[in-house]
Amino acid sequence: MSSSNATRWALAGAATVTVLGVGRVLARRRRRHQPDRVDGWYVVHRGITVDRPVDAVIGFWTDRERLDRGLAEWATLEQLGDNRWRCVASDPAGGGTEWRAEITVDGPGRLSWRVTDGPVAQQGRVELAPAPQDRGTEIRAELRWRSGPVRRALGLAGGGDPDIALRSGLRRIKSLIETGQVLDTRHDPSGRSPKQEQATDRVREKLMAGGRP
Amino acid sequence: MRALCWEGVGRLAVRDVPEPTIRSGGDIIVRVRASSVCGSDLHLINGYLPAMREGDILGHEFMGEVVETGPDVQRIKVGDRVVVGSVVACGGCWYCRTEQYSLCDNSNPQPVFTEKLWGHSPAGILGYSHAAGGYSGSHAEYIRVPFGDVGAFTVPAGVPDDSVVFASDAMPTGWMAADFCGLKGGEVVAVWGAGGVGQMAARSAQILGAERVIVIDRLPERLATAAQRLGVETINYAETDVLEALRELTAGRGPDACIEAVGMESHDVGPTYTYDRAKQTARLQTDRPTSVRQAIMACRKGGTVSIVGVYGGLVDKFPLGAAMNKALVLRMGQMHAQRYIPMLLDRIAIGEIDPGYLATHPMSLEQGARGYEIFQKKEEGCLRTVLHPQAA
Repeated sequence: MSSSNATRWALAGAATVTVLGVGRVLARRRRRHQPDRVDGWYVVHRGITVDRPVDAVIGFWTDRERLDRGLAEWATLEQLGDNRWRCVASDPAGGGTEWRAEITVDGPGRLSWRVTDGPVAQQGRVELAPAPQDRGTEIRAELRWRSGPVRRALGLAGGGDPDIALRSGLRRIKSLIETGQVLDTRHDPSGRSPKQEQATDRVREKLMAGGRP
Repeated sequence: MRALCWEGVGRLAVRDVPEPTIRSGGDIIVRVRASSVCGSDLHLINGYLPAMREGDILGHEFMGEVVETGPDVQRIKVGDRVVVGSVVACGGCWYCRTEQYSLCDNSNPQPVFTEKLWGHSPAGILGYSHAAGGYSGSHAEYIRVPFGDVGAFTVPAGVPDDSVVFASDAMPTGWMAADFCGLKGGEVVAVWGAGGVGQMAARSAQILGAERVIVIDRLPERLATAAQRLGVETINYAETDVLEALRELTAGRGPDACIEAVGMESHDVGPTYTYDRAKQTARLQTDRPTSVRQAIMACRKGGTVSIVGVYGGLVDKFPLGAAMNKALVLRMGQMHAQRYIPMLLDRIAIGEIDPGYLATHPMSLEQGARGYEIFQKKEEGCLRTVLHPQAA
């Protein structure tokens, strides 16, 4: 009897230690996955390598027609003034998110932007640098955003979306520059019912959003 | 149109599905004339690569006729009879520029799964689950092929559909396996697996200069076919100790190169195999690496082990010590279809390679589920079932 009690205590102890251990590991992981904080801003740095010389990458940005065609399925851009732009991003469900931004060219291959009116306070900059070994151009982006006071108080980055959007965006831009298109398999035929297709589209969204850069 | 769809683990059915349409400028639509089953499909059907969704259309090794082209397509014309590489490649990224097409940066629109699993996302593959991009497959009357100018190749006249279909995947995979071996002439090459890929690897090794090729399998009829068609030596691992036999056949050296053309559902005899099978069933490991282990153990010191069988995740008891201390070269990967297909079509046209004999079981789409069953259970001497979606 007593030995079985001892076993139980030992098991309970081991379980507690394990749970605490797992909790600590998860907390650490989570902290590691949180974006950095600077002066109240969340800051992330993301980069992607495009297999084209710097001039060609700049050329893509300044070729308005190509840019619009490439962005057609995702967003529309409208120039409001010298450096003021209006952007409407369309999400697959058909809704749109609109924001206005000031875009400033800071030098050759460098620009920055500031959202003046939009759902999330946001600013960022992009720098183009030649990649080593004839690998084209490194697009390096820094994005800063703020999230609401409650979320901040709880220590949650919240609005993790800006980072995911940045990563998806960089991948899309790379694809547009290198291939002139962004692939999408959402409308490929399948034997699914409309309801199953909807569920699959949600999985697709998860597998498309964000990514490595 | 009709298409062979995955309906859940181990279940396939023909469904009526919408026809594909041009979605991007580089797309082409191909009316599928021949679409082969592939050993790697079995991993999907059986749920070992867990990224299938109910209703997904299978099939990635195919040929057919171009019926529509997107506005940006230049090289490929409507009416062309083409074979299409199963790996999707954009043609515009660094990997494509350096002919490493299966590593294409832009052809998997759903890269997050494989980035988490493997660190980076390789190219998309047609009809190969949502991990490989979620493309609809070729076991259908029509298929959309993105980047048609990069992935489709016109087929020489006079070569039958059921022969040229293997230029889509089995031949380039086999060729790349032999290419990895860096043969200079006179080598002894051992090939694990006498299926379509293994036999094409054996033939490729011969063309690239191997003096002797030894093929290992457990199915007497496949070994007999390989011996008769290709003139290779064979070992039946169900009857013979493979390592012993290979040592003897090479006077103690071991093969200069070992090609593994089996993959994650590898078979063997004995307790280790039972153990692997149990662990895989319990999902304690995702892949059974039986033949890879054997290839590493068999390979001569300083030799090359070339892996083209498909693996998806984690393996146990990988003999890293043997590989390290014998200074082996390990090469592996999904094949770079677009690099090899034109050259292989030339070789088919002059009769240097004739893969047509692999198509032992031509069938209609409706017989697809049965076709896979025959293929998986290796019944009726089946090497490959080839589906003909245009047949009623």
